[in-house]
Amino acid sequence: MAHPALVPPVLVDPLPEYEDSVGPRRRRPSAWHLLLLPLSLVMLTPLAWMVVTAVSTVQESRQFPPRLPSSIQWSNFVAVWTTAPFGRWLINTAVVSAIVVASNLVFCSLAGYAFARLRFRGSGLAFMLLLATLMVPFQVVLIPTLLIVKSFGLIDHLGALIVPNLVTAFGVFMMRQFFLALPPELEEAGRMDGASRAGVFLKIVTPLMGPALATLAILTFLSIWNDFLWPLVAIQSPENMTMQLGLSTFQGSHLTDWPLLMAATLMSQLPVILLFLAGQRMFVRSIASSGIK
Amino acid sequence: MAPNPRRTIALAAGVVLALSVGACSSGGSSGPAQSGGVVQITFAHGYTDVEARAITAQVATWNATHPKIQVKLLFNGGNDGALQKTMAGLATGTYPDIAYEYGSSMAALAGHQQVVDLTNKVNNPSFNWNDFYPFERAAASVNNRVYGVPALVDNLALVYNKKLFDAAHLAYPTATWSWADFRSAAKALTNQSAKQYGWAYVADGSEDTTWRWLAMLWQAGGDLLSPDGKKSAFNSPAGLQATQLLHDMAVTDKSVYLDQGNGNYLNLFNSGKIAMMWTGPWDLSSINSNVNYGTQILPAANGIHSSIAGPDNWVLFNNGSAREQAAWTFLTWLTSAQTHSAFTLATGDLPTRASETRLGVYTTYLVKYPGDAVFVLNLGNVVKARPNTKTYPQVSQAIGSQMQGVLIGQTSPQAALSTAAQQADAALASGP
Amino acid sequence: MVRTAEAPAASAPVEGRPSVLRRVWWSDHLAGWAFISPTVVLIGLFGLVPVVWAFVLSFQQNDLISPGKWVGLANYKKLLHDPLFANSVRNTIVYTAVFVPVSVIGALLVAAALNRRVRGITFYRLAVFIPVVTSTVATATMFSWLLDPDFGLVNAALSKVGIASQGFFRDPHEALMSIVLMTVWGWLGFGVIIYLAALQSVPADLLEAAAIDGCSRWRAFWRVEVPLLAPATLFLVIWLTINALQLFDEIFVTTKGGPVGATTVVVYYLYQQAFQYFNGGYASAIAYVLFLAILVVTVVQLTAGRRLSHAER
Repeated sequence: MAHPALVPPVLVDPLPEYEDSVGPRRRRPSAWHLLLLPLSLVMLTPLAWMVVTAVSTVQESRQFPPRLPSSIQWSNFVAVWTTAPFGRWLINTAVVSAIVVASNLVFCSLAGYAFARLRFRGSGLAFMLLLATLMVPFQVVLIPTLLIVKSFGLIDHLGALIVPNLVTAFGVFMMRQFFLALPPELEEAGRMDGASRAGVFLKIVTPLMGPALATLAILTFLSIWNDFLWPLVAIQSPENMTMQLGLSTFQGSHLTDWPLLMAATLMSQLPVILLFLAGQRMFVRSIASSGIK
Repeated sequence: MAPNPRRTIALAAGVVLALSVGACSSGGSSGPAQSGGVVQITFAHGYTDVEARAITAQVATWNATHPKIQVKLLFNGGNDGALQKTMAGLATGTYPDIAYEYGSSMAALAGHQQVVDLTNKVNNPSFNWNDFYPFERAAASVNNRVYGVPALVDNLALVYNKKLFDAAHLAYPTATWSWADFRSAAKALTNQSAKQYGWAYVADGSEDTTWRWLAMLWQAGGDLLSPDGKKSAFNSPAGLQATQLLHDMAVTDKSVYLDQGNGNYLNLFNSGKIAMMWTGPWDLSSINSNVNYGTQILPAANGIHSSIAGPDNWVLFNNGSAREQAAWTFLTWLTSAQTHSAFTLATGDLPTRASETRLGVYTTYLVKYPGDAVFVLNLGNVVKARPNTKTYPQVSQAIGSQMQGVLIGQTSPQAALSTAAQQADAALASGP
Repeated sequence: MVRTAEAPAASAPVEGRPSVLRRVWWSDHLAGWAFISPTVVLIGLFGLVPVVWAFVLSFQQNDLISPGKWVGLANYKKLLHDPLFANSVRNTIVYTAVFVPVSVIGALLVAAALNRRVRGITFYRLAVFIPVVTSTVATATMFSWLLDPDFGLVNAALSKVGIASQGFFRDPHEALMSIVLMTVWGWLGFGVIIYLAALQSVPADLLEAAAIDGCSRWRAFWRVEVPLLAPATLFLVIWLTINALQLFDEIFVTTKGGPVGATTVVVYYLYQQAFQYFNGGYASAIAYVLFLAILVVTVVQLTAGRRLSHAER
């Protein structure tokens, strides 16, 4: 019997429409567009506003109700790079995000699998303690966390942003739930064949975790990319600033250059969007869904 | 055996507790950042845009001409987050040498060992402390000790749209306007169908709401607190008069646009939807060039055209005596009449020292920023200052929240005052 | 203790041979701890220690900078009589009770709609995800403009349909629901991405069997797919509840707890106490009461989740 995991994953078609199970499939635009298009337009409204603002002049942005600009100011996008160390912020944030995402993919999978599938003394308590760290608002643990990070000498280094985030309780919790959803028969088959726990994990379970890992990568990346409060208190020098901290330099308490800020924000969101586009290709059925034949 | 989670945690806790004791007792990133006789100091600010460019240029000038004291500029995340960052920095022992702090933060910072008491330094005759306006000096002091040097001063004045006044055939606001004049003008300038409002008021319940009302309280001759600062004094005829005006204009006349704290009133002003606003000089540079605006001092209730100011300060932190000395030298230069008037010319900010108005550069400044003339004049109308106590934020919140209720027509003026006074008294009783 | 329903089946051998049992149990034990050690150390150090520390702080009167003085349970006693705290608790409960169900069901339905190979599905998925990427400040600015009582688009649209102007953020009775609207919109993509990933593990043959049995798509969805999504649903319910009970950012950038305290939630009140009034100890006490509440709610949800999944079988 061939191991299911050794068979390459096959793209299984999504459910046929009810009508189509009776007759041959006809090519016609799906009725789903009627629902999805309006929904998408609603979701995209702020993005549309951001784009309109980014290509306006400052004076045009200081009007309400907002109006379309008389001409497109692409110069705002250039100005972001020339008037501020945008590239520096990009690199700093990318480095932190890449390391944190990679580390979370590894550690959260291991821990999530252990909590989902393995029985060992103390697992329940450990899991609850992990969840407990999510239940206290950050404002309250801000200063104690800062003191701990300082004791490692990481203040004002990118390490202060990396080390506390190498594993997140959120990621462990999420992966545990995804593992619980996998049919256990696959792993049992592997154990029957004499594989060790680690072997089962690596050879059978991991290939099935595509969508889950993609989700974890996207959401972890997003939380690092959008983090403001922690970098604010952990970083001092301008050369170590990350993206959100950098964007705050465009936003004064009284004076905000909205077009510049929106241009910068739009560009700062590109990496996350690209990661999402790459990751969402995993949202297709894998071999697990085709069951064991 | 299986590792015991409790033991790991206890160990980590012990390590951290030990380190925390160490951190609290060290007094900061001590020792001079010195190499070869050069002292490096760090200078944190929240300026953006024009002000950021101006300060960067000034620091560069200093660094070029003072090789022995080099200043490094740090951005504090925006002044709104400055206090949180400062407090975190103080708790962990990592803080700059000089930082820009809101005036309202002074009470929280005063008295800590890391914050330098400047009283003796500013009383040095060469510093000319009395050159700063009285309310600025009050705002930089807590319990008669000085903890900051004024970095920015402003005040509230009346800014109006001339075109809207012309369209309504109204005379522009004068320096002798009363509340009655103000109210009737706002009413005449309000047009429901065109969605035009006579006045804009920031109604987000924060200090922005409170401090405008405070100006009105002072105009009516009232006081915020009792002389000893232990009880509220604003639930008085003057307080009622001020609150009643808000009610009359917002609820009865419906001539007030209630801004939610997002600064939208300025965008509406630019679009010609709002005729008058009580605001500070910081908004002038955001008024579009196609809007013909005028400035005037605030109206008076009984002939008193009181205004209110929100001065911010440079605060000095203790990172060792060498750095403290170097930082003070730099700060003296930065806040001197000469240097600061150059800053005002670049930014349109108001002069902090009275002597700046006697310098040659001041004339050029007035030509470049004609709107500022009234604001500088108005500095003389700021007679009272907000109390610099730790409990002021709670008093402010109580008043701001109740005034919100009045503005949306939910609370009657007397009820609002009574509730606010009750909450304020509770706060004043609980703290220093 | 949290036990998984599937574990016994996975680790029990077919025949009862004692030595194999013990060997499997030990290897599970060692593997288990090996797998979670890095996690335990890191989260223990950076997650748990600060939490314990802050707990200690709640017994002090402290302004977060200088060493505090010990006051025992005084902070907690003060909480019981604090009407502003009671108000914030009420607001938080109302918010959570509306936000979580709406978000979960909304995400489920939208994910189901996006789980198909319609042309342009990538664009639709991206559109739904964009609000999650958008910063809170940009979202808040957008919503306060859209919902502006005088000039906003929403009131303009409502007036065309004959509905009176609403106060939204300015009206104490509508402000909290306006925040719900804003946060549901902002979190929808998050729930959708979780469900989309989870939907990929649903075996297609089960659905084909249901279709062959004459089940309509709608019934197949609710009777077959949704129960299989239970772990994802549990995760989303717990995670969204934990976040809703700790709502802060959106309040901070829009209503600042107003109008007249209508949107002051527990963490916003805590923030005021810690960073505006400098009552660090009191803020910690508030945080711990909140922590206990969240803990209780989460345990209840986990237990209910387990019971339901047992009932399925």
